[in-house]
Order: sequence, then C-alpha cells, then structure tokens
Amino acid sequence: MIISIGCDHIVTEIKNHLIDYLESKGHKVIDNGTYDKIRTHYPIYGKKTADKVASGEADLGITICGTGVGISTSANKVDGVRAALVGDVETARYAKENLNANIVAFGGRILGIGLIENIIDVFLGTEYKSTKENEKIIQKINSLNGHVGQVNDDDYFDEFLKKWDCGEYHD
Amino acid sequence: MKVAIGSDLKGYELKEHIKEYLNSLGYEIQDMTLEKELDFFDVTCKIAKAIQEKKVDRGIVIDEYGVGSFIVANKHKGIICANVFDEHSAKMTRRHNNSTMITIGSGIVGVRLAEKIAEIFLASEYDGGRHQIRVDMLNKLW
Repeated sequence: MIISIGCDHIVTEIKNHLIDYLESKGHKVIDNGTYDKIRTHYPIYGKKTADKVASGEADLGITICGTGVGISTSANKVDGVRAALVGDVETARYAKENLNANIVAFGGRILGIGLIENIIDVFLGTEYKSTKENEKIIQKINSLNGHVGQVNDDDYFDEFLKKWDCGEYHD
Repeated sequence: MKVAIGSDLKGYELKEHIKEYLNSLGYEIQDMTLEKELDFFDVTCKIAKAIQEKKVDRGIVIDEYGVGSFIVANKHKGIICANVFDEHSAKMTRRHNNSTMITIGSGIVGVRLAEKIAEIFLASEYDGGRHQIRVDMLNKLW
C-alpha cells in the first residue's frame, strides 16, 4: 500500500520510527514532514497528508501530533477525508470497517509505541464492510462539504506564516 | 457557559449520566438528543450548528465509539472537535486547539473516566498566543 504520513515537531521521532516500521512491512511511504524538531504548525502537515489521500495518490494516511487532535482535525477538514482519532485498536478497527476511514490519527504524547504499531497493523489490515447501514452513514458524511485542496499548494497558509514571522502571534 | 449534550441510541445511557453529573457541578446543560433511533450524524450536526450560531458555547456528543461523531463535527466550518478518551487530551484540546466540542465513545470510555473528561473539558481554558496561528489555519481550511 501507499501510505501518506505527517506529523508536527512534537512527535517527529515517532513518525520516523513508523516510516521504518511501514517500509519493513513492504509499504511505500510518502513522508509529508515535518522533518525536524523546529517549531511549526500541525495544519500544514495534516493538510498535506490528507490532500494525497483525497487525490488518490496514497491509499491511506497516518497523522500524529501531541494529542492527535489538531492534526486529525485539519485532515478531516479536507473534502473526501475521514480521519479517525483513536486511542485503542478496537476504535481503529470500527472506523475502517464501518466508516471506511482513510486516515488514522493518534497522540504521540498519549499512546506508547507498541499500541501505535498495533493500531496501524489493524487499521491497514481491516477491510471496509459495505453494508446498507455503513453506506448510508458514509454518504451522509460525504454530503458535508470540506476544503477542496490542490496537492502541494504549499503557499496555502502563507498569510498566517507571514504574520508569524512578523511576531504577531506571541505567548 | 451554555453546554449542549447529545447522543445516539448506544450513547444514550452514558449521556444521561454525564448530563446529571454536569448539572450537579452547576452547568446549564441543554439536551439536544433527538429521538433514540436516530444515528450520531443528525445529533452531531445539530450540536455543531448550535455552536456555529453561538446558541451554545460547548458541545458534547456520545456515541458508541466517539470517532464517527468526531469526523462529522469537524466537517462543520469553524468547528474544532476532539474524540477524547483520557483526561490529558480533554485539557490539552482546550488549551492548545481551542476546541468547542468533544466526543466520547460509550463503548470505549468507562463512566468515571467520562465524568472526568467532560468536567476537565468544560473547566479548561484556551492558552491563545502561539497556538492561535494553528487555529487560524484550521478555520481557513474549513
């Protein structure tokens, strides 16, 4: 499978570990960054990861930040993406089997690496079950609009990054 | 602070319990649960719209896994929602994401933990500052 993966600067080492893990199982991985520990912003990587799933360039996606909330929320705002934020294996199985979730997300500061690997194994290994009930709920979700992105429109967030560089966002 | 709560059939019992618990803490709770047979999609949309229209300040949706309502809520413009299964995430999603909604899986999270998650979510404040650039980015996306 082709897996699109993304993270923020809090959990880069976990993403790097997962790339090795996925590649050792024969998957091809698209690494959307971030690539180091320098402070950055999770929606950039959530969107990049999600755009590649929505466009069909990747089969499935994985997003990770501190709690998983911010990056999975940004992924869900992309049209055609159903990103499941999970803390256990069973929820990941349900989301794939019933909601045909195409991204799985978790918090790198919430879960341990053993559970994360188990979640990924089950998410990738579970088949969607096309029942009448499942189709109905997915159709309802797809009827809600979302951001229609272009893959690699890297300047999408520039207006905010310029303000950041000017020191307009400060603690 | 006005708080909306809702559930589907499988989350109904836990929703009733959390509603009473939050009432006992002094919160004004508006139960937006539709008829019991309806799925999580409709009740999540109803609560997300109430937040968009500023009729309520926070929303809590309970379904069996939490994850379906979580996806539906975040498909609403300007809504930031977290599927929460631990106290730390309940706090951090307020502090860092300024989320206005959470979902809880009644089949996944036990009663005591669900009480704490709801309580901490409502009691925690947004940090603002550097986190605002990420929230601005989310709001531009959808």
